[in-house]
Amino acid sequence: MRRLGNIHWGPLLAALALAVIGLATVSSASSETGTDYLPRQALWIGVGLIALLIVVAIDYHALLDLAPIFYAGSIALLVAVLLIAREIGGARSWFGIGSLGGQPSEIAKLATILMLARYLTRVRRPHLDFGHLVVAGIITAIPVGLVVLQNDLGSAAMFGPMVAAMLLVGGLRLKHILIGLLVVSIFAVGYWATGARSHQVQRIVSFLKPDKDPLGAGYQVRQSKIAVGSGQWVGRGYGQGTQSQLRFLPARHTDFVVAVLAEEWGFLGVLGVLGLYGVFLTSTAQVAARSRDRAGILLLAGLLGLFSFHVLYNTAMVVGLLPMTGIPLPFLSYGGSFMLVNFLITGLVLNVDYRRYVNR
Amino acid sequence: MNVIREDRFHRTLLVRRLTRLTGLSIGALMLISLGYWRVQVAEGAHYRQLADNNRLRKLTIEAPRGWIYDRNGRPLAENIPNYALSIDRGLARDLDATFAFASTLLGVPAEELERRFAARRSGPGFAPVIIAQDLDLTTVARAGVEQLEHPEIGVEIAHRRLYRQAHQTAHLLGYLGEVSQADLNREPQSYQPGDLIGKKGIEKIFDHRLRGEDGARVAVVDSHGRFIEEFDHHPARPGEALTLALDLDLQQTAAELLEDKVGAIVAMDPWNGEILAMASAPSFDPNRFVGRLDPETWRALLDHPQNPLQNRSQQNRYPPASVFKIVMAVAAIESGLDPNETVYCRGYSVIYNHRYRCGNAAGHGRLDLRGAIKHSCNVYFHQLGQRLDIELIARYARRFGLGRVTGLELDSEQAGVVPDSRWSLEARGTPWYPGETISVATGQGPILLTPLQMARLMAALVNGGDLITPRLVRTDEPAVRERPEPALRDSTLAMVREALWAVVNEPNGTGGRARIADFEIAGKTGTAQVVRQATWTSNEKLAPDQRDHAWFASFAPFDSPRLVVVVFVEHGGTGSRAAAPLARAMYETYLARQNQDAPQAPAVGG
Repeated sequence: MRRLGNIHWGPLLAALALAVIGLATVSSASSETGTDYLPRQALWIGVGLIALLIVVAIDYHALLDLAPIFYAGSIALLVAVLLIAREIGGARSWFGIGSLGGQPSEIAKLATILMLARYLTRVRRPHLDFGHLVVAGIITAIPVGLVVLQNDLGSAAMFGPMVAAMLLVGGLRLKHILIGLLVVSIFAVGYWATGARSHQVQRIVSFLKPDKDPLGAGYQVRQSKIAVGSGQWVGRGYGQGTQSQLRFLPARHTDFVVAVLAEEWGFLGVLGVLGLYGVFLTSTAQVAARSRDRAGILLLAGLLGLFSFHVLYNTAMVVGLLPMTGIPLPFLSYGGSFMLVNFLITGLVLNVDYRRYVNR
Repeated sequence: MNVIREDRFHRTLLVRRLTRLTGLSIGALMLISLGYWRVQVAEGAHYRQLADNNRLRKLTIEAPRGWIYDRNGRPLAENIPNYALSIDRGLARDLDATFAFASTLLGVPAEELERRFAARRSGPGFAPVIIAQDLDLTTVARAGVEQLEHPEIGVEIAHRRLYRQAHQTAHLLGYLGEVSQADLNREPQSYQPGDLIGKKGIEKIFDHRLRGEDGARVAVVDSHGRFIEEFDHHPARPGEALTLALDLDLQQTAAELLEDKVGAIVAMDPWNGEILAMASAPSFDPNRFVGRLDPETWRALLDHPQNPLQNRSQQNRYPPASVFKIVMAVAAIESGLDPNETVYCRGYSVIYNHRYRCGNAAGHGRLDLRGAIKHSCNVYFHQLGQRLDIELIARYARRFGLGRVTGLELDSEQAGVVPDSRWSLEARGTPWYPGETISVATGQGPILLTPLQMARLMAALVNGGDLITPRLVRTDEPAVRERPEPALRDSTLAMVREALWAVVNEPNGTGGRARIADFEIAGKTGTAQVVRQATWTSNEKLAPDQRDHAWFASFAPFDSPRLVVVVFVEHGGTGSRAAAPLARAMYETYLARQNQDAPQAPAVGG
């Protein structure tokens, strides 16, 4: 493997560092819950690394060739979920695969990225035409519609930034951007006015006024901010976060894991973690810059959109900058299939980098 | 299959777009880190405090208030267990429902409970708030049954102050009441809202010693209020016990003697100033004040014409009447007048064209100073009033501690009035009339003192002229004594003391009703006129509120005085009938006490 030395190690090192920090934080956050999530989290990191190696081994062009099969398969899974999956937490997205569980919508996102990358690569123009957008829209709408039918709006929303990133890199015209924004706003307003579920309204309200009802819907926002704020500069020390250890903080090992980190490691710890995400994003962008073809760039665009949106939304939500919703933080939050997806993303990034030279 | 490989069409353009997008993400990441900076660094201290409040629950451990004992260790103020109802905000789901439930439990309107709750909740702590005290056992049981439904309602065992002698010691001990906002503002460190503090008397003056310091148990709790571990524990420092100089037997005797009367009795050790008894009537039951005083009781006390809250021994001033002749006699002898010089009393004197009456309308005949004291002849002292000017009289009055507070450890003490020409100009704006000196010579007119000052005066007569600061609390510290100018000769004091012996022990003395066989009491009666001389006939014919005030100021045993007793009965009639017998009863109790304490000791007196 002579050329292995030429691979960009940034994404992998950042991912490994974040995974280890996540392991420690999840362990601290779950030390009072009776279940130690550390072994399972470690197991999933191992699974993720194996998956990463497998993904790197297969040329991404081959993966793009197989994209329609992945895409069709993931849609079949989503349909299966709708038909047979158990009701869990109001959303039918958890697919019972053994004790580990798996989320078909996560797979569907990656399959959709591959499918769109494959389609957009063939558009040999500086900008996408309306027809291209229609096709891309259909490719996206099928899995999104199925996820929405599962009542998992958070996951469905994740398709948005990912697809938007790919279209933007593929070349969107300003008028199409404006039309897109208009359509999205009309849908949002319509949804708000008619079909909005009360718990979503509550989340928005509690985001706007978290102190109005500190023990009700605003509880999570408030407790999260208290946890983050009480960390101050250097934190309370590992395992010493009172908000986390005393169960004031809900979902502390999953969506709010960064609050635990902020409480125990302080602002400096937060800066360190955000810095690692920055390293991941910039090194991925560097990989894109030296990749050899449209396919690689578009694939990386989708991966970056998916990944960075998780990072940005989750970290902003924890500190109260955005309304709460169930978006986990890559590599840090506890959750098997999500961990796997993040290592798959990393694997795809390395894959593109590894194959930047012709004749491989 | 290979159609998408190696397609480099517009590759640079795509890379530029992707780089820009990444740049946007990095920018957003920086903005978010600014958000963390704001919450963690700029507002970090605020959130750190919130976090600490989140997890720490402070439970106050009540410091038991110090008991108060009499000189022989008998409890005067003690603590008994008391059940109180509390509300724990941390456990309350719906406070309105809580108040509604508590209202049915206690039979108190919910609004009243809400008011109490609002008034007593304190700051950020999660300590349960007490909303009712003195629960009966039925209520305690009912609250316990509803524990599952209303976990926020708790029954706490607190201490309740009990004054076993009730109204008999009320003016001395005072009472407890809920701390006022003014107290809280003045001493925010010492008090918490809802605290009971001393509001009057010893309880007030010695509050800081009696109250001790509440302890606290600070527990770490989780979000459900469940106990995790103990974070901090400082035990309560119990309040100090106080031992008073008071002799409960004497105090109870005094209180019983004043039952159905209006007046005061003070018994004091003339050598160290210890107050052995101090009673004032009418009185009140301080136990009614503990916890929550019902408005009717309070109103009744305030509207009572005789004002039972007033401690007449040191908060009310009265003319000393003939007891003041003691000061006059000392002033006369010290000024060089001959005590053997006689004056003829024919029942009145006419001075400055004004007729002044003697107590005995038939006249006392020819009297020297000793005889004038023994018979309390006004005419003799009218003569002295003519010969000694008011400045000199005032000087001797002050010499005996009149006109200023004694310094006893009780609040609102009155200083009384010692009139002279300067006082007349300042207080009344008129010059002093010589005729007034004639009145002052027999203790009438503007001169005013408290029964406690009278006792101090008697102590000075007994102990060689020292003014002693009276005290209620027993201490090892030496008595505070002063010997002001002008110096008094022992022979003068002895001469007056001997005359006081004659008042009680010789036939026809005005204080004969105070006499006890085998125990020599010396004293002076006083009868203060309440209505003008012209309308006065006899006390029996006057309306009760127009009758004279009766005084008897005394000491005993004559040879080696151990006790000073001053009796004052408002509108009681003459000192010899209304006050002297009460003093005798006091000495009888004193003697009984002495014999009980030391049965083997030789009989006192002779």
